[in-house]
Amino acid sequence: MSLSIHNARLLDPATGLDEPGAIFIDKGKIKDIAKGHSGPHSDAKETLDAGGLCLAPGLIDLRVKTGEPGDEQKETLATASRSAVAGGVTSFVVMPDTRPVVDDVALVRFIIEQARKTAKARIYPSGALTVGLRGEQMAEIGLMADAEAIIFTNGDMPIANASVMKRVMAYAASRNALVMSRPDERALSGSGVMNSGALAARIGLSGIPPEAEWIGAARDVMLAEATGCRLVVDQVSTERTLQIIAAARGRGAKIHATVAAHTLFFNERDVGDYLTYCKVNPPFRDEETRQGLIAALKRREIDAVVSAHDPQPPEEKRLPFGEAAFGAAGLETTLSALMSLVNDADLPLLDALAPVTCRPADLLGLPQGRLKTGAPADLILFNPGKPWLCVREELRSRSTNSPFDGRRLQGRVIRTLVGGETVFEYAAAG
Amino acid sequence: MPMAGYTYSFDHAHLLGIEGLHPLDITHILDLADRYADATRAGQRADPVLTGRTVVNLFFENSTRTMSSFEIAAKRLGADVINMPVANSSVKKGETLIDTAMTLNAMKPDVLVIRHSASGGAKLLSRKVDCAVINAGDGTHEHPTQGLLDVLTIRRNKGRVEGLKVVICGDIAHSRVARSTTMALHLLGAEVHLCGPKTLLPPGTDTWGAASATTDFDAALKGADVVMMLRLQMERMDGAFLPSRREYFRYFGLTQERLALALPDATVMHPGPMNRGIEIESAIADGPRSVITEQVEMGVAVREAVLDLLAGTHR
Repeated sequence: MSLSIHNARLLDPATGLDEPGAIFIDKGKIKDIAKGHSGPHSDAKETLDAGGLCLAPGLIDLRVKTGEPGDEQKETLATASRSAVAGGVTSFVVMPDTRPVVDDVALVRFIIEQARKTAKARIYPSGALTVGLRGEQMAEIGLMADAEAIIFTNGDMPIANASVMKRVMAYAASRNALVMSRPDERALSGSGVMNSGALAARIGLSGIPPEAEWIGAARDVMLAEATGCRLVVDQVSTERTLQIIAAARGRGAKIHATVAAHTLFFNERDVGDYLTYCKVNPPFRDEETRQGLIAALKRREIDAVVSAHDPQPPEEKRLPFGEAAFGAAGLETTLSALMSLVNDADLPLLDALAPVTCRPADLLGLPQGRLKTGAPADLILFNPGKPWLCVREELRSRSTNSPFDGRRLQGRVIRTLVGGETVFEYAAAG
Repeated sequence: MPMAGYTYSFDHAHLLGIEGLHPLDITHILDLADRYADATRAGQRADPVLTGRTVVNLFFENSTRTMSSFEIAAKRLGADVINMPVANSSVKKGETLIDTAMTLNAMKPDVLVIRHSASGGAKLLSRKVDCAVINAGDGTHEHPTQGLLDVLTIRRNKGRVEGLKVVICGDIAHSRVARSTTMALHLLGAEVHLCGPKTLLPPGTDTWGAASATTDFDAALKGADVVMMLRLQMERMDGAFLPSRREYFRYFGLTQERLALALPDATVMHPGPMNRGIEIESAIADGPRSVITEQVEMGVAVREAVLDLLAGTHR
């Protein structure tokens, strides 16, 4: 089965390519890339006129939660993948915070197998750093890595004990395993539910101070330096945390930063009248901090932008703000959040795509995420300026707790291919 | 209330907070409450403007004082009152606030008075029901009828609100009374100074309308017309907000000597219940400048006025 897509605007953040061209796909891989205004490839059995739409690598998302196994009423690997491909995400890493926790080889294999059987996107399991995410006993990092767990993390339960963290990092480094950790000093952030400050005080909600993130990041970065561990600092929400990371990088440490897409779009004021869909951790910060993160994205200081997809059903969100669960569904809106920065904040298109394509691919050592001959044909056709109204009920995730509900967004995926097969088409979307 | 060129009408569906009210709204509520207070003092029966109306007191936190005040106010106006102290009912069995609200809503009450431990609880309820909702305290957010009764008490004692210097002292951070009372006083032109230990003074109190926030109680008291003391929750000693009761009383307790720093006719207030000897000396609480029991009296009058405005049959 071969397919030629012509009359496209080719976008490859890995090489800086942005020009008209065509792509020839054969046996699930990119067989040929033709620049300029050429017609369909002569060997193609099937041809597609892109009509001038952007053709880019599919998105790679480092941080997705589903409810499988254990909370399938929230989301399954299959429903998450449906939502993902509608948002242009063709590869994603699932977090180990499930029931049971992915802290064992059998669970890693289960996720790989279940994804292969049911999902439309490529799904990569992560493994827990500690048994049960309890932060006490080291999980079988080596065995899980051998079973192809791609990254190791304690998910939403960062390891409180610095000694455990140091040993886990040292061990992971010896297995050449990539570690990801939420920088969060829980003693400071413990009871908080939104960004700390004047707004939280006025509406009577307890705050999550940025110091909790800075102290958590400083600790993890120092331990990574001490142990030689490759570390991904998960969901940075302030510029100062990026400075902590940059300083360590300057000393040669292998530290990377991710930012959640919604953090680039919303600020604390969006919490407004206690909107629980805007309850996320790390919380939306103030506007100045949001602008700082956008500036850092422009300076290419953010390695990956993640959806931080965290499906929560109504019973977890239709509660008073303080009692509601953290988390936002985000797989379907990540690209649009980034396109809003392209359209409204002067972010160059390729700089918006790099942290969701080639850079996370490089972090994980994946061959996709680039327009390259021989790479998997995980591709999206999209219109970067197409306006649309985000309506919760129309999202494809099983839980539709999206802070974007009711927002006008820009940028829409028209077609998504995984391994050369079309797995989503906008026109056929229902 | 007719004014030059236009007529005023109270057009709020709920009373969820002082935030969102116009000074005219507040003045209107206070004027009506004044009349109810005077009538009660004169031994007159109020017009039964809530006859046939059902008021449900939905209290997720126990508060005998506030619930009784709403109950008396509603009954004086002829309403049928159902008290639901939910703190020990089905909500404990996992039913959510919204489920409870929808169940009650199906029984078609006219007013829901809600107290809830979560900030925003009353707002959430108001989105899900068809009747008027009165916030009787939501977490550490607002307690609007308390704010109104405080302002009414001040206005009756001082004859005005505008230009008065009011000092509110105590656990500002966790006090919904501090928020509502500060906002209401500010809207009517008073100058509000907040005072408390640094660990209990939140940021951004200027956005509530406070003129200052300080840890120096003595300095704040100079020239004050009104001093309002807040209840100190004993659990603040846990978690290192405060060292001890003794130290708190030393710096933030209202004593006779300290009260002498305020104006000679300064009025002393407390939303109750009091910790005598911790935030306030008994001699002051029971002394001639204390209007603490009058606050309780005005509480009923303000609640009559609010119930009348939101659900009165004549409107």
